[in-house]
Amino acid sequence: MNTLVAVILGVIVVYLAYTQYARRIDRSIIQSDPKRATPATLYMDGVDFMPTNRNILFGYHFKSIAAAGPIIGAIVAAHLWGWLPALIWLVLGVSFIGWASDYSGIVISVRNEGNSLSATAHRLVSPRTRTILFVFIFFYLLLVAGAFVGIMATVLESQPRVQLGVIMLTAMGLLLGQMLYRWRTGLVGATVLTVGITLLAILTGPWTGDIFKAFNAGVNGLTANAPLVTYFDPTLAGFKGAEAKIMPSLLLWALGIAAFCYAGSVLPIWRMAQPVIYVGFWITAMAMVLGLGGAVLAPFVKPEVATFVIPAWKGWNAQLGPSGIMPLWPMLFVTIACGAISGWHALFGAVGTARQIENEADMLPVGGGSMFTEFLLGLLALLAVSVGSKGAPVGAFANGLGGFISVWGVPLQYAVSLAFAAFIVIVLVVTQLLFRVMKVTLTEWLGDVIPPMRNQHVASLISVALALLLMMTGTWIYLWQLFGGANQMMAALALLLVTVWLASVGKNWLYAGLPMIFMYITTAASILVTAYNIYYNVYQPNLAAGRTIPIVGSGLMVLVAILLVVAAAFIGYDGFRAFRKYLRQPAAAPKAAPARG
Amino acid sequence: MADETKPKKGGILGVFKDIVYGMSSHEMTRYAVRSRASMEHLFILITMGDLLGVPILPPYYSLRLLPYVTPQISAWKRRMLRERDITDVLG
Repeated sequence: MNTLVAVILGVIVVYLAYTQYARRIDRSIIQSDPKRATPATLYMDGVDFMPTNRNILFGYHFKSIAAAGPIIGAIVAAHLWGWLPALIWLVLGVSFIGWASDYSGIVISVRNEGNSLSATAHRLVSPRTRTILFVFIFFYLLLVAGAFVGIMATVLESQPRVQLGVIMLTAMGLLLGQMLYRWRTGLVGATVLTVGITLLAILTGPWTGDIFKAFNAGVNGLTANAPLVTYFDPTLAGFKGAEAKIMPSLLLWALGIAAFCYAGSVLPIWRMAQPVIYVGFWITAMAMVLGLGGAVLAPFVKPEVATFVIPAWKGWNAQLGPSGIMPLWPMLFVTIACGAISGWHALFGAVGTARQIENEADMLPVGGGSMFTEFLLGLLALLAVSVGSKGAPVGAFANGLGGFISVWGVPLQYAVSLAFAAFIVIVLVVTQLLFRVMKVTLTEWLGDVIPPMRNQHVASLISVALALLLMMTGTWIYLWQLFGGANQMMAALALLLVTVWLASVGKNWLYAGLPMIFMYITTAASILVTAYNIYYNVYQPNLAAGRTIPIVGSGLMVLVAILLVVAAAFIGYDGFRAFRKYLRQPAAAPKAAPARG
Repeated sequence: MADETKPKKGGILGVFKDIVYGMSSHEMTRYAVRSRASMEHLFILITMGDLLGVPILPPYYSLRLLPYVTPQISAWKRRMLRERDITDVLG
């Protein structure tokens, strides 16, 4: 197997699934009608509801759903079970479940006056479902934030070559905001300047790495190279587990990321969040396009970076720590989340993309098309690790992607720097958005009960502190799987809502209902397995060793896991009752609101 | 943004341009539009609040401003009275 064959296989699957399955569902079950008015045209206010060209929406939706998910998940799964199960799940997941979730999230909103999933749940299922969904979403966001901060801090601390690039990305983002919104500079000139300087800083990584290495050593010298926290990390030593240490330099970079996210949360969005995302987009796009093109050309130009090296199959139950169990079912299906299926996509599609759909015929190319494109990103990550790149998951991805980029003649060390930076950028821009949402969530929930929560600084600081606490437990793989479980459960709940809606309007619900049943059972089981692993692999050994932070963190994660399952059980029960009710008697369609008045 | 609603022609290059714009700048455009709308809607609330049952300014000033505000009143009322939840922040 080589990269070219895998890419060709991926493209064929995308083509067949889109044309032979997705289009049929769109035509025969959803019956998308280009003549039917969409909420964007009915309620056009030029702000939230705005009919937008399908190509623009495709780019917008894809950019909003593509984050670290398709990259990390595929790499971890390949390490645990081999590249073949990872590839099979990516292909089957996106073909039968993933596109359906993305597409249906948009459809259900378009056919329900542009309402969010929670508002539709309130109408179709029960008011309690909406409240529980909010609780679920908050913990979901917390897990994503914790996982992402942990991954970024680890990568930044261990890869001094990307540190200048990330610092310059932040600085250039701030400069771009100032240029565009204050100095009124032209977009093209400002883009060339800021993206150019950021790219330069990234490419000089191999030279500036030594300076930052010395800086990290100086920071660690403050405690005479003694760790701040020690814990048992089952991901070390080839998943056999070993003592891991949180050094002062790791904490420093974690605090740096926390400060970045805090600033992104409290500053006006034009000042920092959006310009950083904009500069980051160009860096990421450059790396991904060069990487994917390189993977196609590699067998002809540079065969040594194109041949699969890691085993295709490693076994049903990977070992994870002394007491951990990692059965392929259910764990594979939550380890690879985005790229196969993701709850975030449906959540975002319902409130962001659906309100801009100009024409019902655009729902499939935008929702389904974006998901199939993200599958290609997951495939790229799987290729990068399957060609035998060395390093921990992110390192393997960067080394593999760097190898593909080097096919174009870029020296390998610069290509790897660009790949590392691209990964950090992808995660960073999503994380700062997450903290903005968490801030609003906390303010909305607790603002009335605890007045200080209305203060955006208090709400932001609490969100950041909770994420840091989770990150400080180490064992990020659990956090990742718990995030994966929550994410996939969110997707199952979105599909549940779609199933209930399809039943309520008397349509065939199987295309959403069958994947929902599979995802619901699988993710609930995976969350319980993860809780079991955390308890026996982290909580008990650290309790015996008397280490406070890992005990608190792992205890918190077990609690969150149980809460997620309980919340999902309540929603599942309410959803099932509503589903049965609508099977007996379909609901009346919501009244169309007048276009004016 | 108005011209974005019209189908654009220009072949593959046009499609490519649209996708790049959607990935890179559409969110910024949406934010700019939202910021402007929020300020305008706040202004309308201050001057025309009585349309929603919030009497704030004397009717004299409301009447003077009414011709300028009239085109936006329907969108303003819909946006002000629309139920929102935390997931709306994502979009």
